Amino acid sequence: MRRYPTLLLSVLFWPILLPAATVLMGRAYSGSNDPQAIQAFAERAGTSEVTGFVFVGYAMYMWLSAMLWGPGSALRTEQVRGSLEAVFLTPTSRLVPLFAPPIAALPAIILDFAVIFPAMWLLFGVALPLDAMLRAVVVAMVGIPALYAIGALFASLVLRYGEIGPVVHLTRGIFVLACGITFPVAMLPAWAQIGSAFLPPTYTVADTRAVLLRGEGLGAVAGDLIFVVALTLIVAALASVVFRWLDRSARRTGMLGRY
Amino acid sequence: MSSAVVATGLVKEFEKGRHTIWQRLRREPDRRTRFRAVDGIDLRVETGEIFGLLGPNGAGKTTTMKMLSTLLEPTSGTIEVLGIDVARRPREVRARLGAMLSGERSLYWKLTGRENLEYFAALYHVPPKETKARIDRSLAAVKLSDREDDYVERYSTGMRQRLALARALLPDPPLVILDEPTVGLDPQSARDLRDRVRDLRAQGRTILLTTHYMEEADQLCDRVAIIDHGKIVALDSPAALKRTIRAEEIVRLEIGLHGDGAGFLAQLGRAGTVARQQQTNGTLAVTVHCSSARDLVPAAFDAARAYGATVLHVEVVPVTLEDVFLSVTGRELRE
Repeated sequence: MRRYPTLLLSVLFWPILLPAATVLMGRAYSGSNDPQAIQAFAERAGTSEVTGFVFVGYAMYMWLSAMLWGPGSALRTEQVRGSLEAVFLTPTSRLVPLFAPPIAALPAIILDFAVIFPAMWLLFGVALPLDAMLRAVVVAMVGIPALYAIGALFASLVLRYGEIGPVVHLTRGIFVLACGITFPVAMLPAWAQIGSAFLPPTYTVADTRAVLLRGEGLGAVAGDLIFVVALTLIVAALASVVFRWLDRSARRTGMLGRY
Repeated sequence: MSSAVVATGLVKEFEKGRHTIWQRLRREPDRRTRFRAVDGIDLRVETGEIFGLLGPNGAGKTTTMKMLSTLLEPTSGTIEVLGIDVARRPREVRARLGAMLSGERSLYWKLTGRENLEYFAALYHVPPKETKARIDRSLAAVKLSDREDDYVERYSTGMRQRLALARALLPDPPLVILDEPTVGLDPQSARDLRDRVRDLRAQGRTILLTTHYMEEADQLCDRVAIIDHGKIVALDSPAALKRTIRAEEIVRLEIGLHGDGAGFLAQLGRAGTVARQQQTNGTLAVTVHCSSARDLVPAAFDAARAYGATVLHVEVVPVTLEDVFLSVTGRELRE
């Protein structure tokens, strides 16, 4: 950002442009503020606040992109550049390059939220209460490690298989469909909803909407948050095991230096 | 004198080809072949020496270095670095080892020289209070202090190589391993880097380096192991290796002739030892080991005259490690 300040433009405007387009498209399809359409939406989504629903979903989409692909992309870039071996020549735990890169993405993610709330108010007149926003931050803080762990799981694959971009993009697409990013999970077939129930982002996005748009307290979503923490621990442990296994495999095959 | 590196029976095999999950599910036979990059190397590098692994590209030098520095797992064999078992305690080895393996590519070009070193100092667990002094020392050792705040993308190739060497010095390592440290450098930069390597030895460090430049091995190394097809084929000091040639001088001849030149070579062989011959398009290139070029060159002209051949070119050179490589492998180093 220091060397390339124009990157700030994408951080500032993408979190507004993408959801704004979806909100306007939705209004065009439903006849703007048609009460019947809004009622139908509220029955499926649990809130009549369409703009807030979409904006929160897109914020999650930005997180997913940064967290799912962040660590893998960082490892892959190091591998292609030739610096991965230099990092692995140091005594630092090899889990550090796996888990550290997304930290660099956190400021941008926080900035997404900082941009989204004023944009909703300025462009669509949706003002969210400050206490609801603080509760949303708590939900997000609980949800971030889960995304982190899922991202680390994918990053592990870079060590052995090199280019995994297409797998990550496919997974991101599945998450967008399955986790209620741009539409309510209730719209999915019953069998797909079972799958959604095992994906941490489903709870994070639903709980963020619950505290922000329905005004629910943290107590109401506490069960979900505990479940997310449990899923996080499982995925993080799995990522560590897979990473160690693939690291050993890469040291046997020489894949660390090849790409 | 204690040993900085001891490798015993070192073997590294790679698999060639693929055996995909689909092929496994269909129970197709595994058609992968195994390629032995390092084939039973025994190596002992003594503390305080500059030890060189000399060999052509693909000889197994880099693979050996990667095994010594914990980046590759040997198929078999044992390695001790500074008395530490590499397989059992790899992180301890990495903490005490300075390694420069992929040179300029291993740096962050969008960071400054100092920023690169700050990042790696953290990865080497240099205490924060010592970081600045350690970086200053490393930069001074490679004579880059005046360019420390420039972005690495603005460095020349030689400066990047030196910065990679500075990074290897961050942990203040007793052993430094350098893989082809001067490859791609202009003569001045290469000479400069070799001077830095000599400085490191003067500080009491052990240096293990690979090179395919015979002059570099000759000038820089206390001992040289010549490696070919994954095996060490000769190991001694450069002077001792050259003495194995049993010749004072080398004469390289280019002869224009018709026919296979068998008679010419037989007569020439009475004046010296024909170490190499290669015929292309009516020109015979011959390398002859002899005790005196003053005797051999007239004999070569006599032989050429006797068999209707023409001497096109004569070159008299001292014995080099190239000739040692040729004598032990039957091939030239640059082939």
